Parts: sequence; C-alpha cells; structure tokens
Amino acid sequence: MDKSVVDELVAIFGKENVLTAHEDMIAYSYDAAHVEIKPEVVVFATDTLQVSKLMKLAYREDIPVTPRGQGSGLSGGSVPLQQGIVLAMDRMKKVIDFDPANRLITVECGITTSDIDPIAAEAGLFYPPDPGSVAFSTIGGNIAENAGGLRGLKYGVTKDYVQMMKVVLPMGDIVTLGSKCVKHVAGFNTEAIFVGSEGLLGIMTEVTLSLLPIPQHRESALAIFDSLDNAAQTVSDIIAAGVTPSTMEFMDNETINAIQNFKDCGLPRDAQAVLLIETDGEEASAKGEIAKVKEVVEANRATDFAIAKNTEERDNLFAGRRVALNALASVRPNLILEDATVMRSRLPDMVRGIIDIAARHQVKVGIFGHAGDGNLHPTFLLDMKDAEEKARVDAAVKELFQLAIDLEGTISGEHGVGLEKKPYLMDQIGAPGIRLLQDIKRTLDPKNLLNPGKMFDMPATVSA
Amino acid sequence: MNMKISAHKEAETHLLEAAKEFQKCMQCGKCRSVCPVFREMGNELYVARGKNKLAEKIVSGDLEITPRVEDAINECLNCKTCSANCPAGVSPEHVVLRLRWYITTQKGLHFFKALIFRQLLWRKWPITLGCAVVALFQRLLFGIGPKNPVRHLFPLFGFSKRRNFPQLALRSAQSRLPEVIPPTRGSTGKRIGYFTGCAGNLIYTNVVTSVVDILTGYGYEVVIPKKQKCNGTPVLANGDYEGAKRLMEHNFELFKEYDLDAIVVACSSCGLSLKKEIKVFIDDSPELAEFTGKVYDINEFILENVDVKPEDLGELDYRVTYHDPCHMARGQGVRQQPRELLQQIPGVDFTEMKNADTCCGSAGSYCITHYDTAIKINNHKIKDIRDAKVDMVATGCPTCVMHIADNLAQHESDEKVRFVVEILADSLRSAGRI
Repeated sequence: MDKSVVDELVAIFGKENVLTAHEDMIAYSYDAAHVEIKPEVVVFATDTLQVSKLMKLAYREDIPVTPRGQGSGLSGGSVPLQQGIVLAMDRMKKVIDFDPANRLITVECGITTSDIDPIAAEAGLFYPPDPGSVAFSTIGGNIAENAGGLRGLKYGVTKDYVQMMKVVLPMGDIVTLGSKCVKHVAGFNTEAIFVGSEGLLGIMTEVTLSLLPIPQHRESALAIFDSLDNAAQTVSDIIAAGVTPSTMEFMDNETINAIQNFKDCGLPRDAQAVLLIETDGEEASAKGEIAKVKEVVEANRATDFAIAKNTEERDNLFAGRRVALNALASVRPNLILEDATVMRSRLPDMVRGIIDIAARHQVKVGIFGHAGDGNLHPTFLLDMKDAEEKARVDAAVKELFQLAIDLEGTISGEHGVGLEKKPYLMDQIGAPGIRLLQDIKRTLDPKNLLNPGKMFDMPATVSA
Repeated sequence: MNMKISAHKEAETHLLEAAKEFQKCMQCGKCRSVCPVFREMGNELYVARGKNKLAEKIVSGDLEITPRVEDAINECLNCKTCSANCPAGVSPEHVVLRLRWYITTQKGLHFFKALIFRQLLWRKWPITLGCAVVALFQRLLFGIGPKNPVRHLFPLFGFSKRRNFPQLALRSAQSRLPEVIPPTRGSTGKRIGYFTGCAGNLIYTNVVTSVVDILTGYGYEVVIPKKQKCNGTPVLANGDYEGAKRLMEHNFELFKEYDLDAIVVACSSCGLSLKKEIKVFIDDSPELAEFTGKVYDINEFILENVDVKPEDLGELDYRVTYHDPCHMARGQGVRQQPRELLQQIPGVDFTEMKNADTCCGSAGSYCITHYDTAIKINNHKIKDIRDAKVDMVATGCPTCVMHIADNLAQHESDEKVRFVVEILADSLRSAGRI
C-alpha cells in the first residue's frame, strides 16, 4: 500500500492504532473459518468519526475495507478477501448509556457481548442472545451475523434486541437508524437490514439493545432416550403441550460417546439421544412447565429423566453439554462445525438425513445443537491433512446444505454465509434473491469496497 | 551477542512437538478473552492463537524468525490461562516454549543468559555468594525503602527505577540449616525431602524455616539435600532446553539417593516442574514416575498428611485473601488446599478476592524482561486486592510475592504479602505447638 495512504491512516487513527508489519498481517489474516488472506494494513478504530474518515479515504483511493470484531466468526466474514485494510473494532468497547427505566443499554460495537450482562444485572436485567462465543465475540459481530444461541426458542435471536444503531455507510456518511422507542415507524425499518449484513452494507459503531428482566426461577432437566424418534417426538410434543422451554439442547450418540471418552459426565453410551431442557420464569410457572415436560418425556418412553434440585445438580446435568465441542474436537485433529437449520417439526428427518449422508461418504459426524429452534450443529470430524478425507467431508457438507433446503430449512441458522457458504446461497434464495442482495449492496456501496466478495459476488459488469 | 550452545539435532523435535499442539487450534478466538498479555497489548499477534499461527508459519517455512516473531513469542507468561480455557485442548504455552527452544537452536542464546543458566546456576555458589553480597549492601547502604536514592542506579542493571526489591538473606537457608533435620516432636518414621527452590534458599528464608518447623514439629524427618540446584523453570522459560534438562537430571538423580517418602516444595513453579515439566526433559521410566508421584506442594502435603488439630492453632488477627499462583492453580490443580489451611486458623478473617486465579503478571523472569507490561497486568490484581479490604495477601509463589509486594508499595498500599505456610506457622507458634 502507498506510503502516503499509510501516513494518512496514521493521521486518522494514531500511530499505535495502525499495523503494517508482515507478522501482524499474518495475525489478522484469519478468523475461526478455514481461510487465510493477509491484509495490507490493520487499523484499530476508537471512535465513529475515524471510521467515517477511513471510508472516505477508501472510496477516494479504491481500497477494500474489511471490518472485524474479535475474529471469532465461523464463516470467514472478517477475512480480507481482497486484502486492503482490516478495520478492527475491538478497541471501541465503551458503555455509552445504561437506561434501566427503558430497559435499554447503548454500547460501542466492539464490546464483548458477555460484558453487557454484569452491567444489566445490576438492575435485574439481562441480554438474552447467547451464542457459543458470547464470552469472546463483539456485539457488533453478533449483529453483523445476527447471532443466535441456546435460548432462541423462547427469547429469539440478536435481531429481536436491536433497537437503534449508529452506522458508518460505505461512502463515509454517518447515520442513526431505528429508535429507542418500542414503537417506531418513521421511515423504512432500516436498522433491520444491517442485522445480518455481515459487514457488507455499513460499519456499526454504536448500538442500543433492549434488555429483559432476569427470570426469577429456572428449572433444569436431562432426558435420555434409546430412540432418536422418541427424542424428536418429545421436542414436538413439549411445544404442543404449550410449554416454551428457554433451552432445549440435543446431543446424539456420537456426541455422547465423544463426551464420555473425554470426561465421564455420567451419560449412558448406548443412549441414542439426550435432551437438556430448561424452563424459566416465575417459580410456579417454571415448575409447572417442567412438570408438563416430565409428563411428555415419560409418555415418549425416555429411559431416564432427572430434574436438578440445586445448582450443583444443574451443573452436573449440563456438564456433558458444556464439554460437547471440546470432546468432539479431541476425536480427530480437526472439525468442521455447521449450522444448517430446519423447522423443529423436521428435526427427526434432518438428524436421520445427516447420519445417512455421513454413512454414505464414510465420514464421522457428531450432532448436537438447539433442538427447540431446529438449529443443529452437525460437526464433521476429520484430519484436514488427509486430502481424500477432506474431499469426502466437503461432499457431505454440500449434501447437508441441500438436505436443509429440501426440508424447507436454511443453510445457516446463526454462523452466516461469508465465504464458507457463499457457493450455496444461490441454491437457497435463487437468482432473483441474489440479484436483490446485489442491488441493495450496489445502492449503498457502488464501488464494492466494504467487505467485498462475501456472501455473493457482484456481477462482473459493475465497475467503479 | 549470542552463544551457540544448543544442539541442532533437537531443532526438528521442537518443531514437531509444537506442531502437535498448534494443529489442534480451531482459531475460535476464545483465548482473546482470557490472555492477560493480550488484554494489555490488544494485538492478535500476542494472543495464543496468534502465536499458534506464527508457529504454523515457521514450521511450514513461510516465516523467518524475525525480531518481531521473537518479540511475540517472548510475550507469554506461561500462566496457562489459555490452555485451561481452550475448547480444543491446545496448550499454547507449550508451543511458545518449543518455539523458544527452537529459536535458540537457530540463533543461540544471549551470552548473559548462557552465563547464568550454564555457569552460575549450575555452579550455584556464585549465586549464593552474589546474593549475600547484595544482601549486605541492602543492609549497609540503602535498605529497600521507596525513597532511597540508590534506586536511581537500578537502570544500570537493567531494572526499572520504580521497582521495589525484596530483602535478600545474608545467609542462605541451606547454609544455615543442617542437611538432615530430625523431628522435634514425636515421630512418624517418615523422611521428607525438601526442595527449597532458589527463592526460598536466598530470599524468603522464613518460608523454609516455617516448612521445616511444621514438618519436624509433626514428627517428620526433613532432608534438604545441599547439592540441589535450580529446578530449571527460568532456564526453560528463556529458551535453554539443554540447560534446563541438565538441571532437572541433576535434581532427579540427587533426590533419588535419599530414600524419601515424599518431596515437598513451597514454590509453585518448582512444584510444577518437579511434578510435570520434568517429563518433557527426562524419558519416562518407573523411577521417574515414582519421583514425580512423590512431589507435593507444601499446602497439599500438610492438608493431606499432617494431623493439625484445632487446638494446635493459635488465634491470629489477620484479614486475609488468597492469590492463586498460576503454576499452583492451573499448573498443579492446587486451589482449595491453601484456602482450607487459612480458614482453619482461628481469628483469620478470609475474604475471597475477585479474579483470584488471574495471573499477577510476574511470571518469573518475565517481570525482569517485560517490566512495564508485567506492572500493567499486576495493576488489575492490586485493584482486586484493595477491593477485598484485607490487610494481607496469602499465596504460594515467591515471584508472585515479589511482584505483588513491589506494586502494592508503588500504590502506597499497606497489605502484606506472605506465604500460606508462613501464616500457618505463625498460628502454630502462637499456640506453642511448634
């Protein structure tokens, strides 16, 4: 990159916030996906105006910019595909305003999501979305990927909590979208389009999130099944019985055995499935709901059902789920974690389909995930150094996506498209769907400089 | 100026062993939320997965060992917080250590380090003598007070002017005590080897006295082999694989000669190295397994084996919190034992501080070579200590004591920093039990 551009970046961000050394470029060349591309410069923003100045500079000089939170994304969203500048947002992490009266918190987008909870808890509030990376991903990244988590069934996902945001548009304009009011219909619902925009449409620098009161009481239970169908039927029946569990986690036999090999969590190795179920709310209602769960579980011939009587027992029930990914990770050198999602009624078809795909391609897969909202994590276990095995896994993953689409589901429930699922997006939304995305992108970013090449390609005819 | 002292034949082994670890990395980034160094530096290069990535590039031949690579690899406390929290079970500190050892095979070791690790620590007497001389000067000339003008000379020796040093011992513990110390009360018939560590021997001699008084007072014969040398922690942490190996082999052979029922240590890093790290340097054998199986942290040993009755303990009017040394908590899994010992003592008002097991930033020689960052890391610890509203911090690691005490003094904070075993000995002495 031209020295004059770097000098200008230093003038905008300060010397300590601009990196150019080769070693630093390696450090910012990847995230939790399996792609590596080195940027030419890394800058750390500390306020919104800097980001605006950066985008104006990028537009003047035709330099691609890739925003980055903590680089924990699983779809390659923060990898600088066309090099240029990586804009690291993780130094913008101030809490701007906590407003318990309106159950709102306004933060800079580089704050780690789990850092919100201790502040909210002082007023008895919490921020519900809890993706697996909640302790180390930024709220900006969560919004850009519309992150989900364990509590999606009852509490929804990130998009349900975004009230207002300050965004720097690709050409440098600073706009504030949405409102702190619960009801707000002045203009398009524009803030929504930035949720899940994967850093293609603008850079969120500040966000106002809505919070909920911490549930007074929580009940936790573990149900063990010797049949996959019974477990799946239980999930449907629990919902049909009018219960909305806050958590309903599923683990299959492969995952159970990986866990038991990793650490004895008291799970029976011959179990075909376990469900971890939590209800929360007023004490009476949480207890009433878990009692209904018990009835349904027993009607579906669970081999075992236990309700935790105290925190310690609860921790024991969840011990297996907590180490599930660690356990699967220890089976083979590498893993590929997917997030194809279906409606919960299609869960049994999905699980059976995945097992069938794995068998046909002779690959190892562990399935766990959020049964309540149909968001499974089929986790393929492999050695990436073995090219032949890697090819088989890639083929299996491709079929997995098609299966999800065939079952009226989606190729990605919470990780995003980015680079990893870009080849498959057309299969789900079709050519007109892609065209709409391209049109929106072109409107905001005519030169295609903000996180270019992610999610979909721009048509070749579009040039600056 | 570097000395070529490392064998090239080991180079490949170091890279292979590093690869075994970094290949497991899922690059999820969780280490970013726990690494104390990254918290201060804010650059991916310095976090565990960044170091894994550097290692990967070095192994694949895509990256040379540049000064910046060395800088990144040296920015690690070996606090094991990343490995304790890693979902993929990677031990990034082993990647770091292997890389440091590898770099030494390629670039040699700075002559000053080579002098210390290969000559002074090995011969031991120059260190003992040197400490006695410094101890004498400390007493005669300048003491260790914060206002003493002598601190303006510290930079000449590579130390920060604001640094507060502990008072060194005029006479080392090992020269003051006989090699074999019989029980003073009753007899269990058990013979305990005591690995004092250099800090116990030369600085915190009251810890050695406390350990010896407690063990002999409860019927144990204590043996402090005079020929024991440094356990190798600072040596292995600074890139000298062979130097550390030589020291470990020496101590292993030495302690075997004494027919011991157990070996105790009152230093977190000595404990970790004698229990675990030694296995990296000495090939596995039944003798080695027997040796490592015999090593106990003193807190662990007392709680599990020494029959301290409630009436043995005198009342102490101490308000205490406990700081977990990394190499005790994550290194050896010793967390509860020191807390239980403290809480047994009548009168002791124990408060759990926040983030008790967060690294204090000392990390042995790290706080000599990286003092500014070490102090930044420690500032969080000082805040947590002050918030606990105590008058004493108990711990089990000499370099934690040194570093926390230094920074407390810089904050003009009055809390004392002591070893749990010293506090226990205070209590037993006040009841006349030892």
